[in-house]
Amino acid sequence: MTALPPEAYAAALASHEGVGPATLRRLLASDRPEVAWSRSGYAGDVRAIWLRHMDAGITVLTADSPGYPARLVGDPESPPVLFCRGSSGVVSKHPTVALVGTRSPTRYGIGVAAQFGADLAALGVSVVSGLALGIDGAAHEGACASGAPPVAVVAGGLDDPYPRRHARLWDRIVEQGVVFSENPAGVRTEKWRFPKRNHLLAALSDVVVVIESRHGGGAMHTVSAALERGTPVGAVPGSIRSPASEGTNALLFDGCFPVRDVADIVAALSLCGIVLPTSVARCSTVDPPPEVVGPDADVLDALSYDPSSLDQLARVTDMELSALCGALERLASVGMASQDGGWWFRI
Amino acid sequence: MLASISAATLTGAVGRPVSVEVHVSNGLPGFTIVGLPDAAVRESRDRVRAALLSSGLPWPLRRVTVNLAPSGVRKGGAGLDLAIAIGVLVATGELPAASTDGWAFCGELGLNGSLRHVPGMIALADAIPPSLGLVVPLSDMREAALVRGEAAHGVATLAELAAILRGQSPWPVMPEAPATSPGGLGGPDLADVRGQRVGRHALEVAAAGHHHLLMVGPPGSGKTMLAERLPGLLPPLTPEESLEVTRVHSAAGRELPHGALVSQPPFRAPHHLASLTSLVGGGSWSMRPGEISLASHGVLFLDEMGEFPVAALEALRQPLEEGVIRISRAGGTVTFPARFLLVGAMNPCPCGEGMTRGACNCSVVERARYTRRLSAPLLDRFDLVVPLARPDPDELLSPEPGPPTAESAARVTAARALAAARVGHPEPPLQPAAKHLISQRLRAGELTARGVQKVGMVARTVADLLGAETVTEAHVSDALSLRMARSVVTQ
Repeated sequence: MTALPPEAYAAALASHEGVGPATLRRLLASDRPEVAWSRSGYAGDVRAIWLRHMDAGITVLTADSPGYPARLVGDPESPPVLFCRGSSGVVSKHPTVALVGTRSPTRYGIGVAAQFGADLAALGVSVVSGLALGIDGAAHEGACASGAPPVAVVAGGLDDPYPRRHARLWDRIVEQGVVFSENPAGVRTEKWRFPKRNHLLAALSDVVVVIESRHGGGAMHTVSAALERGTPVGAVPGSIRSPASEGTNALLFDGCFPVRDVADIVAALSLCGIVLPTSVARCSTVDPPPEVVGPDADVLDALSYDPSSLDQLARVTDMELSALCGALERLASVGMASQDGGWWFRI
Repeated sequence: MLASISAATLTGAVGRPVSVEVHVSNGLPGFTIVGLPDAAVRESRDRVRAALLSSGLPWPLRRVTVNLAPSGVRKGGAGLDLAIAIGVLVATGELPAASTDGWAFCGELGLNGSLRHVPGMIALADAIPPSLGLVVPLSDMREAALVRGEAAHGVATLAELAAILRGQSPWPVMPEAPATSPGGLGGPDLADVRGQRVGRHALEVAAAGHHHLLMVGPPGSGKTMLAERLPGLLPPLTPEESLEVTRVHSAAGRELPHGALVSQPPFRAPHHLASLTSLVGGGSWSMRPGEISLASHGVLFLDEMGEFPVAALEALRQPLEEGVIRISRAGGTVTFPARFLLVGAMNPCPCGEGMTRGACNCSVVERARYTRRLSAPLLDRFDLVVPLARPDPDELLSPEPGPPTAESAARVTAARALAAARVGHPEPPLQPAAKHLISQRLRAGELTARGVQKVGMVARTVADLLGAETVTEAHVSDALSLRMARSVVTQ
């Protein structure tokens, strides 16, 4: 039987029932994990716990382990024992930007999250997110497609992907980047664990960007944790009528910097002293819009940036439905209109 | 001492001839029925006895045995009461045996000796050999006459029938059939619907091309109101369809309209808590037609489609494909017609506000769970998946009625005529721009091969409704917009 490494005792301590971060920090403050384990008097099969983590491919890190992220050292809430799958070193090699938001986003939010995720990764920035449904997932989907390794921070044990629907995305992140958790294998993802996860997420990020958030949404935990650490927080402006943008618009009112495109995030990074090797041009839409004439122009006039039903458009334009649909399709083909579930709007 | 009387019983929507043999012998007074009777048949003893006594006819204080042949077939319902009563009368010598030769009897008895309605009279009348005359309750005579004509006779009471069979009085004359209300389409009118151009258009397309329709919209967008008005757009039933529909409705024990023949397309709207059996038909052995068969040649409306059990929805797939439903039980297999126009309605999400951006509070998981009920193969059966919106308040409150059903029905009839005239001729080619639009969608992956075919068919119907010969880009755009809510229900 080979001797167990100190991390095995750390994992055993973290896995013990009733041991929270505070107890863990106190136990490990003065002693090495193996000493702390024997002094604690806890009973448990250290080897079995260790093997369980090894089998699941989980790396256990204590503050003394070489792979422990440098940016967590000195953090007021630095986890005494950190679990990860993938290569934990990526958070030290790349600048990190957290893209967070609501679990029930609009299509706008999903689109923005995916685009920012892809653009940041292409610029060599690691995208940090929580692997939740909605904005988190969309940001990671975008980030996985290109460039810098993605970073995920989750609330439960690393042996059980949560939410189930993101199991494949989870595997891709493990492959390309890293997934962190404060909790050992076997811990179920429970609601009350999310705020703590969000604090760790903020601690790992150079800049936090909220894409869409409802009033009092979970992303606000990330925001307050970031503000406590002096991390810049940006928010993507949204429609004042969209409940999904209530939280982000309130953040803008409170003084967070507005994020219109990736260039704004890059500017925030450079203010923190992180300069990217590649420069970013601000997205511009200077293409002159194609000229629209005839009945199509009437239809375009009737369209607004808020979606309208076909019925409304038919009433306003007083056109035959077939002709109206034809005009809308033509406008869509030149990129001036779009529809979602049959509701049409200008773009 | 022995009598044999012809009658019929119902298995599903199909009648089977039954010979009711009654034997009266000396012994302890008693009454036994053999030959696989169900509870209702077994209880006929009490009805028959009371009916005979109330009619002033004697009940034998002897041993009575009733055999229902063929003995292997289950007999259900109270329709054999009359045949048993006549059998008892013949076996006890109250009626001459010769008087019942050449006659069959179907009817339920009341304790006062009156003859009562029996469900499925058409199918029963069908089962009686054509050489026999048929005696039925007066209330069922019109139904029986549909298939038996002059050979059907209606009688009001058992006493009256006994008198006729004894030759003491003549057969009553068949009362004059009430004139079938001409043109009275009945049902609600589209004029009650305000606004809803898209909804009306979708109804016309569905009716003209027999395209199954799924309406997706928030509560209060008029989905149910529109669906109820769809049968009014369908052409009246042909005589053959009419008889088929009447048969099924009769077998299900539904009350038939005056004149007995169902001539308007039926409309059935089962609740989402309806059991699978009540939807598709069946039962342990009585095999009754279900809602989908009652809706045959008409409209089957499933409101709150997302709330129906998955099993019920999946059971619709085969009848949608074949136009019939085959129900197999240990006791055998029956086939019912099930050629209906399927109209579904659902909210875009559990809270219903999903189409209006930002107003929906449902989580992604809730929405997915709600729409997952509709499997992709079932969704593929819907050529039209139409997004509906709440009507504009001004239009809703306007005192002016909307365009009436007659206007839409005329367009549908014209379109159907155009389509019928095209049968056997090569399809006129699509306009190049229309073809381009479809191929663009195919390449972008927004349409599958099946989708292309469906869009083509719907575009053809749209063109027919507008009286156009070739399918243009506008018609294809229209057809595309009539399936745009697919993206809402396939998240």
